[in-house]
Amino acid sequence: MKYAKVYYEDVKVGDELPPLVKCPIQQIQLTRYAGASGDFNPIHQDDEFARAAGMGGVFAHGMLSMGFVGQLVTDWAGAGQVRKLGVRFGGLVRLKDTITCRGRVLARSSKDDVNLVDLEVWAENEKGDKVVTGKATVALPARD
Amino acid sequence: MPMQINKGVLGKEFPPFVVTIERGKIKEFARALGDPNPLYLDDRVGQASEWGDIIAPPTFMTTFREAAGDGGDFLRELGTDISRLLHGEQEFELHRPIRPGETFVCRSKVVDVYEKTGRSGPMGFVVRETAVIDRANEIVATIRQVTVVRL
Repeated sequence: MKYAKVYYEDVKVGDELPPLVKCPIQQIQLTRYAGASGDFNPIHQDDEFARAAGMGGVFAHGMLSMGFVGQLVTDWAGAGQVRKLGVRFGGLVRLKDTITCRGRVLARSSKDDVNLVDLEVWAENEKGDKVVTGKATVALPARD
Repeated sequence: MPMQINKGVLGKEFPPFVVTIERGKIKEFARALGDPNPLYLDDRVGQASEWGDIIAPPTFMTTFREAAGDGGDFLRELGTDISRLLHGEQEFELHRPIRPGETFVCRSKVVDVYEKTGRSGPMGFVVRETAVIDRANEIVATIRQVTVVRL
């Protein structure tokens, strides 16, 4: 069930998050993301510009993939629970790529009534190449 | 193209800028990600939540830009242009969710500049940190961004 509440007590190190499979990347999504984010770098819109820049054509904003990873985490932990999200952009995402986001629990700790869970998160294309790798920390509610 | 970036930008502090969170912008951003979470999109769900309103997705602060410029001045100061840039890393440290109508001051500075040669040749790295500060003068978020310049 989507958006089911996850409680700190129920989380174990090594648990995997339900994977998030996004729709194949289309130019229109990159255009929408440009408008929504304010990042109008033509390298994500204009194939000729991207080729002339030596990038072999248009590719997606790294921040779009990071947004997908953010969704992976909030689908599981709940929106508003993310305390930290940090990623490294390791590969380009091209038009028609299908991105799958995955994550697993690295550690859990409880201090001053705040229950934190550290996650390893990443996004990969259909070939299994990791295009984004990173870590997230979420605060989870306790049962009772 | 120059074979190095201007390391003189280390320590540079950008003029602080103010952002006000717009309800429609949060929804536009969530839809652009293809994220249907009702806590971003449905005002009634937001009002009934512990936050009392819709909130922004965790990467929303990437929209915080100086309205005045396109960043072109800083790229010229670095000695590069937009076609040479790649996004290397990004991190958001979030102390609490943010909601429509809130106003923040963003203070941004260059905290590191270095060069490295990777698989695809020489690259410059510029690390920029931004503190997002609310009306009560509390830091609500720290944003860390590594921009890569293909040299």
